[in-house]
Amino acid sequence: MSREERMARAGDYVLGLMDEKERTRAERDMEIDAEFRDCVIHLAERFHAFDKDVAPAEVPGDMWQTVAARIADMPQMTAADIARERLDLTTLQAPDPSRKGILQLKRPYAHQFAGWRGGLIAACLIGALGVGYLSGQAMGPAPEPVVVVVLADEDNAPGAFVEAYGNDAVRIVPLVDFEVPQGKTLEVWTLYDRDVGPVSLGTFGRSTEITLQGPDQPMPQPQQLYEITLEDAPGSPVGRPTGPILVKGLAVRPPR
Amino acid sequence: MTADNQDDACTLLLGRVAAGERGALAELFKIEAGRLVAVARRIVRRADLAEEAVQEAFVTIWRKATLFDPGRGSGRVWMTTIVRNRALNMIRDGQRMEFVEPQTLAALGDAGGEADLAYEALPAASDLRRCLDQLEPVRRRSIVLAYVGGFTHGEIAGRLKAPIGTVKAWIRRGVIALQECMS
Repeated sequence: MSREERMARAGDYVLGLMDEKERTRAERDMEIDAEFRDCVIHLAERFHAFDKDVAPAEVPGDMWQTVAARIADMPQMTAADIARERLDLTTLQAPDPSRKGILQLKRPYAHQFAGWRGGLIAACLIGALGVGYLSGQAMGPAPEPVVVVVLADEDNAPGAFVEAYGNDAVRIVPLVDFEVPQGKTLEVWTLYDRDVGPVSLGTFGRSTEITLQGPDQPMPQPQQLYEITLEDAPGSPVGRPTGPILVKGLAVRPPR
Repeated sequence: MTADNQDDACTLLLGRVAAGERGALAELFKIEAGRLVAVARRIVRRADLAEEAVQEAFVTIWRKATLFDPGRGSGRVWMTTIVRNRALNMIRDGQRMEFVEPQTLAALGDAGGEADLAYEALPAASDLRRCLDQLEPVRRRSIVLAYVGGFTHGEIAGRLKAPIGTVKAWIRRGVIALQECMS
């Protein structure tokens, strides 16, 4: 995103000119793009000048009681719940170990997923998670992934499945055929620390399953962000994502 | 209580809400609900809808308090954003259209006037005021109508009798210039 584009988009967000989908997307981007987030926060703080000294309106006496009654039995969302809501993959569930051996899908799963939505996606993902996760075990020396991630596009359609291991390696299973024009490449990123920023785990040129050995990094954690961007070959020259985000997702820890 | 103290108080209270303390939310409600209803009312134009927006917002604040990160700005701004978004959703869902009656049309007209008043009320020394003052009047007015009144590009175009594309360009150029000026 160019600087101007970033400022214009922050403006649309803060002014309230985005529709709900654009807003959800902007809020997700704030989680991974520190510059955009800072831009939004800075602008929102400045525009708060319009709101902070507004003369208070009258508040009906029973209004708090209504709020109190509504939250009386309402649990608070955990960070994980919030991340899941962002992804809007609320129907996604952890793989069910009992599926072992039932699903014998061949990868890549592109054709299995084309056009699937909603609950069907969830069902497929459970299958994909189960198969990917379990075949990792079946291959022998491959360790169990520490976390797994379903990376979805902006319409929340799943586009890739990632397993991250404790030895800095990740296995990428594309679920769609990403178009990679001449001179471009796919680059995989993760964000384990906002202060560090996105870290490249490697690049791959075609939409096929691949295992990449990333740089030395902390043990992958649930809720850690993974994304794939389209970069100029041989990879982002600046060590940060510069191209469009194709898919992204937050890690979950598979049940043992 | 000065605004800055209020900021700090809200941020501290939000931390307690995040820890599951309902009493802290009650305190937040006591000190902020009136202001937030006024902010929502500038957008939804009706007292009952503004109260509904704030009520919903407080439920959201309860549910999502863990999301608030004091390292990323003030609690008041965070809560205000939730209220604004809730109010904007209500009118974008078409509720503003559903109650278009003569008196409401007048109220919508007032929203424009209220945006002007909000602009006039900005402290002359504030960065926002200083930088808005430097914008061409149509750009400034478009931006203030969007933020204060919650107007869409289309509604602003209607009010200012300009094509939507032109309004979009005014706002885009305007917010970029504003940020350059305030940075």
